[in-house]
Amino acid sequence: MTIVEIFLGIFEGFRVTATVTAFALLFAVPFALIFGVAQYLTKGAVRLIVTSIIEFWRSSAVIILLFVFYYALPVVGIQLPAITVSAIVLGLNTGGYGSQAVRAGLQSLDKGQLEAGMALGLSRRRVLYLIELPQALVRMAPTFINQFIQLVKGTALVSLVTLTDMTFRAKEIAELEYNPVGIYTSLLLAYFVVCYPITVFGRWVELRIGTGRELTSEL
Amino acid sequence: MSFDLAFAASTVPPILSVIGTTIGVALLSCAGASVLGFSFEILRRAGAAPGYALRFVIDFIRSTPVLAWLYFLYFVLPHYGVILPALMVGVLGLSIYFSGYLAEVFKAGIDAIPKGQSEAARALGLNRIDTVFFILAPQMLRNVAAPVGNYFVSILKATPYLAVIAVPEMLGSAFDIASDTYRYAESLTVVGVVFLLLALTIAQAVKLIERKLLQPTSR
Repeated sequence: MTIVEIFLGIFEGFRVTATVTAFALLFAVPFALIFGVAQYLTKGAVRLIVTSIIEFWRSSAVIILLFVFYYALPVVGIQLPAITVSAIVLGLNTGGYGSQAVRAGLQSLDKGQLEAGMALGLSRRRVLYLIELPQALVRMAPTFINQFIQLVKGTALVSLVTLTDMTFRAKEIAELEYNPVGIYTSLLLAYFVVCYPITVFGRWVELRIGTGRELTSEL
Repeated sequence: MSFDLAFAASTVPPILSVIGTTIGVALLSCAGASVLGFSFEILRRAGAAPGYALRFVIDFIRSTPVLAWLYFLYFVLPHYGVILPALMVGVLGLSIYFSGYLAEVFKAGIDAIPKGQSEAARALGLNRIDTVFFILAPQMLRNVAAPVGNYFVSILKATPYLAVIAVPEMLGSAFDIASDTYRYAESLTVVGVVFLLLALTIAQAVKLIERKLLQPTSR
């Protein structure tokens, strides 16, 4: 196999990489919004529960969560396909990070925004929808793009639970022929080709918004 | 088959017996990633040409998954006659991967120091080296302490990835138990809980250090 054939062979796994990413977003975005807002609005015991749930998904090592859910759920009688388990674990982990961005974004708004909204006679909920969330989400856009990249890269893990993504394809090709340099260089390049345009887009958004904040996320 | 609590308890001692490897790998990788990331950032400032080259290197690292780096180093280095223990390959992989993020942290930390600080130091007659050591470095350290601490927690959570290249850390030993007994749920759940507790403890410690020792002085 030439290096081009190897690269294209690895890219056959892109469909799975993209599918897992898309399904994971279905869990990540609602989780980030609901739990971020909940952590911002609640107090006392409720906030403690909300924080605990976020911290569980955020502070666990995602590779271990993936294995635990993949191997432990069948024991308690829940059989889920690998792709669903992957989407849930990667999605909620990303959502945990996202929720902190949402909360921080809401907290960073000037207090006058809330006060002005209330003074205009809007309900608390309408202030949130019409005034606070739109501003916070714009402010957080660069962070979300960074987290999206982290998610795409995180999908490399699904190769460990038998899904034929790009990483899995690389290992399959490695079994067929001995060319570690070509195969694993191609694997790095394949992810670079997918993620770099998003990185560039993120930088552009950051410049447009002008309030880029360093992401403290992982993998 | 159901979840066997007694069996789960019996997996705790063997898993905890390798916690030292996990923490050691994390510490070595933290040091490696910091040194590499800081070197990247200093070289990036050296001039236009190395600046662009290193910016690309950092972007490349940030656009590729840590799993792909581990496979790359593990299979490609021996091809060139570089035989390292798996543990060192893992440390190298984590160091490279996280250096990309830490370089950005150092960049932000250095950029945040007002230009007047170095101008004032030079005006007072301090030479270049003294300016860096006594004026700039302490301020930079304060600026980067919080995000670097967060990345250290991320590095800790990335150590189970080393299981894929046969490093005997906690996830690896959990898998050994699982494949001996065909009981995956218990040992994996135990390792998940241990990691969660470890990550939460260290995250709290980082927060505490940040609060107690690194309070910014009023400017």
